[in-house]
Amino acid sequence: MSLERLDRLDVDGALAEACDGLTRAGFIVAAGAALAGLAAARPAVAEAAIPRSDQDVLNYALVLEYLQAAFYTEAERANGLSGRPAKAARVVGAVERAHVKAFRELLGRKAVGRPHFDFQGVTESSKPFLKTAVAFEDLAVAAYKGQARLVRSKAVLASALGIHTVEARHAAWMRYLNGNTPAADAFDLPRNRREINGIVASTEFISDRPRSTSRRRPRYTG
Amino acid sequence: MSRGGGIALGLAAGAAAGAAAIAAAGSEDPGAPAPRRALAAPAAAALAIPPPRRLSDGPDVTRWAHLRRPARARAEPGGGRVVARVARLTPEGTVTALPVTGRRIDRRGRLWLQVTLPELPNGTSGWLPRRALGAYEISRERLIVDLAARRLTLLRRGRAVMRAPVGVGQDRWPTPRGTFLVRNRLERYASPQYGPVAFGTSARSPTLTDWPAGGFIGIHGTDRPDLVPGAVSHGCIRLRNPDILRLARLMPVGTPVEIR
Repeated sequence: MSLERLDRLDVDGALAEACDGLTRAGFIVAAGAALAGLAAARPAVAEAAIPRSDQDVLNYALVLEYLQAAFYTEAERANGLSGRPAKAARVVGAVERAHVKAFRELLGRKAVGRPHFDFQGVTESSKPFLKTAVAFEDLAVAAYKGQARLVRSKAVLASALGIHTVEARHAAWMRYLNGNTPAADAFDLPRNRREINGIVASTEFISDRPRSTSRRRPRYTG
Repeated sequence: MSRGGGIALGLAAGAAAGAAAIAAAGSEDPGAPAPRRALAAPAAAALAIPPPRRLSDGPDVTRWAHLRRPARARAEPGGGRVVARVARLTPEGTVTALPVTGRRIDRRGRLWLQVTLPELPNGTSGWLPRRALGAYEISRERLIVDLAARRLTLLRRGRAVMRAPVGVGQDRWPTPRGTFLVRNRLERYASPQYGPVAFGTSARSPTLTDWPAGGFIGIHGTDRPDLVPGAVSHGCIRLRNPDILRLARLMPVGTPVEIR
């Protein structure tokens, strides 16, 4: 994914800004508290069947799947899309939810929790929805590719490859709907976890959950 | 024939030959030569990906959102008179939560959401710019309070998961009827008359308008369980402490409350 193309896709410039940092300034991650919390939530004990390092990779992939599933699900619920973008949100959302379910079932109690997402209205009209969807899907493809060399279990790698190609199809579909060439490059580059975390954090789509509990003495009418 | 045309023809011929070879490799002709090397069997996948399923949201789902910043609610999307100024924080210090009941795009292409406001008269609605609100949240629970029967029922996806007797407002301080939202939860405070847990709602007393902190109606425990059920409160919905603790395990913030 070239930086020039990402720049054209990005509505608010948040993603491009993060990518600028990657190449020109050596990239300083200013990841939000939510991402830091996710890193801390990695499983502490290895499962017998899956190497611990693979559990870590799976949980990382799960966070990206949470992000995508929440994005498409909100787009479908908000009901602000119509025509082909609405259909794409419905179909891709169902697939991303299936990915989340599969990851959670495999990881069991080791699965990280779902972060709180705030998509700031980009799910509710076609233009920002498609631009964000293209950025998300390209990011997911690069992220899966970036983790492949770290996976030790062939069974996990086989699963990751199966999902990786599906994400690539999603990317091509969203690119087509957004008016971009679906597959313009001869070679896709991977992105490592630090790059991906920085880009996601820069969007501020992962946010702190607003406070809804308190220890103050009630002053209701009683 | 130009050079380019020759190349194109050559590619087409090559593609046809390749397609024939692929077709032959895929055939089950017993006379076909056996491949010299078989590919290794693919590794079994660790993940069992279930079939994609559509959203199962039904009529029992309520959509709401937290307020991102203080905002002026308008009578119409895009403008109109100010219906109310909505504070970001409740009197309890939690972030204001508002049920979303409508959505419209104004003439300038800006998105507005219709919300029910925590204002008197109860049920007042207004329009806020989308940017004033945070993420959409979903509630699948619904709390029904039957004032005449002095009983509450908690529904999840339309099915009752809890029932309990309640104390409600006395005749001079009635519990208001309508549909409201559970907007916060208080616990570990030192105030026995409210029991161990208290939920704040967006309902306001129509009579105790000068009550401290706005006269909001709560759902809470009590230090007088002998008065439940009954018309005993200043408008709040009182439960016996074991019941409020059970409700606290089942009911999240954001649950709509229908008082009838």
